[in-house]
Amino acid sequence: MSLEFLNAFKFMKKKSFLHNLDPRAKLLFSIVYTISALLFTQILPLFFIFLSLIPLILLGKIFRQWVKSIRGLSFLVLFIIILNTLFISLSFALAMILRIYIMVSAFSIFFLTVDPNDLALSLISMKLPYEFAFSFSLAFRFVPTIATEAQNILDAQQSRGYEMQKKGLINQIKNLFPLLIPLIISSIKRAFNVAEALESRAFGSRKDRTYYYTIKYSFKDFVFTLYLLVFLVFVIFIRVQFNSMPDFLMWSLPV
Amino acid sequence: MDLVRFESFYYRYKGNEEYALNNINLKIEGNDSKFILLAGETGSGKTSLIRCMNGLIPQFYAGFYRGKVEIQGKNTIETSIADLSTEVGIVFQNPENQLITMNVEHEIAFGLENLGVSPKEILSRIKQTASLTEIEDILDKAPFELSGGEQQRVAIASILVLEPKILILDEPTALLDPYMANKIINLLQEIRREKNITILISEHRLDLILPFTEQIILMKKGIIVEHDSCEKVINGDNFQRLRLNKPVIFSIFNQLKKENLYNKNIPISISEAIKTLKF
Amino acid sequence: MIRMAREIPLIMMKEIGYTYPNGTRALKNINLNIFTGELIGIMGRNGAGKTSLIRTLNGLIRPTSGNIYIKNENINSKSIATLSKIVGIIFQNPFHQLFANSVEEEINFSLRSLNLSKEEIQKRTDQTLLEFDLEKYRKRSPLNLSGGESKKLAAASIICRDPQILIFDEPTLGQDAKEIEFFINLINNERKKRKTIILITHNIEFAYEYIPRTILMTEGQIIADGSTKEVLNNEFLIGQTSLILPQICQFYLALQELGLQEINKISSKNDMTDYLRNLIKNKSSKI
Repeated sequence: MSLEFLNAFKFMKKKSFLHNLDPRAKLLFSIVYTISALLFTQILPLFFIFLSLIPLILLGKIFRQWVKSIRGLSFLVLFIIILNTLFISLSFALAMILRIYIMVSAFSIFFLTVDPNDLALSLISMKLPYEFAFSFSLAFRFVPTIATEAQNILDAQQSRGYEMQKKGLINQIKNLFPLLIPLIISSIKRAFNVAEALESRAFGSRKDRTYYYTIKYSFKDFVFTLYLLVFLVFVIFIRVQFNSMPDFLMWSLPV
Repeated sequence: MDLVRFESFYYRYKGNEEYALNNINLKIEGNDSKFILLAGETGSGKTSLIRCMNGLIPQFYAGFYRGKVEIQGKNTIETSIADLSTEVGIVFQNPENQLITMNVEHEIAFGLENLGVSPKEILSRIKQTASLTEIEDILDKAPFELSGGEQQRVAIASILVLEPKILILDEPTALLDPYMANKIINLLQEIRREKNITILISEHRLDLILPFTEQIILMKKGIIVEHDSCEKVINGDNFQRLRLNKPVIFSIFNQLKKENLYNKNIPISISEAIKTLKF
Repeated sequence: MIRMAREIPLIMMKEIGYTYPNGTRALKNINLNIFTGELIGIMGRNGAGKTSLIRTLNGLIRPTSGNIYIKNENINSKSIATLSKIVGIIFQNPFHQLFANSVEEEINFSLRSLNLSKEEIQKRTDQTLLEFDLEKYRKRSPLNLSGGESKKLAAASIICRDPQILIFDEPTLGQDAKEIEFFINLINNERKKRKTIILITHNIEFAYEYIPRTILMTEGQIIADGSTKEVLNNEFLIGQTSLILPQICQFYLALQELGLQEINKISSKNDMTDYLRNLIKNKSSKI
């Protein structure tokens, strides 16, 4: 279950409206929706906000992957329902669940549709130093490699009798060493190899390096940004004027 | 001006007592393109020698050195590695750890971006290099989607695009199956011809590479034991004594030579062997 | 080796198939019998299914179809821990395993899951260090060993458990002649103890010279299974599996084209040397 949840944040190359948007517009999207979610504690407003995500998800053709992120939260959701119902109310619990769904979705959608390359470029365009942005995308690039390596290490250790299950907390921690140490060592070695290769390709040698790929805001990015800003203003307005809003918005369960 | 010149160069990695490189004197001339094999038992210093060629030793690897190394007249201690990377291109052992971008096209562009080359020039060089290394149809693939042979070609392309005068490869065929290994070596031969650059390969799989080799640098325990034409080295005593993976053809004719039944140069390919038998 | 009629194979793989969760079919209808004491090579293109095949033998991979029997028992229900006592796999990269504080500790770790007495562990550790010429590195950190020494240690840490079946994944990778010679002595020693050995390798010359039986794989299937000298001498099979003909075979073909007389069965380096020796001595046989 936990591994499937991670897959809900893994970039997949597709041709869709969302994928074609500038990564900065998508970052704005995640921020706007997170703020919106944090503004309310009532079920209905949050529900509407949540609903407004659906068309975007469909536009991004990432429905199946996004569903994994929702499913992965089920354990946490159960936990929240129990605790909040006991101490506050079921209504509040449901509202909190919606909030989490919105925020997780905001970022799941971001990671599902932003190419790590573009992410680095957008960070650079926001004046982050190149080296920082680059180490970010380097980390992304090696995630699948390290995952494979971890599996290979597990296989090798199991082949000499190593067993995963152990009793007792201390034993469980000690039991991680045969997996962690080879992984850390190989990661360090890899870091060295990568650094060597980077040096040999003149990495960091000039401040005025050129960029082969560029990201540019296009018409649809402006339109989308406009929509986001309007959305945000609207949501803030509702929040500020909440007490003079029609009663049904404050509906909650009798529990 | 020599392409590569080592003058009484010593090097010891920090924390090691033994010298990895002991009084290296080496001269590789720059007039003609050559195909050079760097051979030696494991631990003889081949990788360390390679690291000296673009300044990684002593600039990147902490240690102690004595002597001088010059690449195209540039001193490897005083010249930046970035600067040297336009003269010397090194493809390291594991291609996976050299592919650092998210797609092949960007991988080739990367080095040129770092050097501040204009995007227009980058595009044209990518086209040229991709066609030479036959990777035109995988330009949009991600590194982990590539097979071993494809990874190797991309790594080579990403270095070749910097237009170095000498291309150095550290065990390029290690992870490849024999057919792929052969293809890569043929590719290198073609690159050498088309670009007129010298190729230097460090290898254990001698049978695949000897047929293409013109010069051999033999190393043992940090010393260059011999540097001469392929023919001379193969038929010499040093080659006999070193525990290298000699081709089967070599072993056969070597044995016959020892029995005084054969006194010509030992063949290193099947066609050569047939030729010598037609006496 | 004299084999009793009706001897039951040590390993029986019947109609084995394996499909990864993402849908890739790594193994398709594998049928394979391996007898006690055999030395077998598995060769094929990268991605042909060689590593998947060996992983089914110690439970790292559970086939999605078919059954595997070791010592006539279905291994389906046996845990990896249990199987790893009978089947020892030595993977390509020793640094995927080495983690202990000393070489000695590394061997101890391997032995601990065997439930042996302290004395027995000590005895086996001493024996193993001696056998692998690692005694001088007893207290050294495994991470301080050279590439060749660490490959030896990785092998030692599996062989010390005395599994009946030994599987090596690319044992000659990156090794020079003296390291390969050590490896050849190692497998000869193990064969004397009647161990069954399986090698995945790309090293055709090595296979041709030292391995009696070879299995060729391509796209998850076995396309050849037989005497190495025959299998590797087959140009069609070689083409299917990204290999190249061993030099002896290439030379043999070239000599055949010259129309040489009496070019009988040459199937080893020594055979070829003998043949040429006679050819040269009898200079009358003109080419």
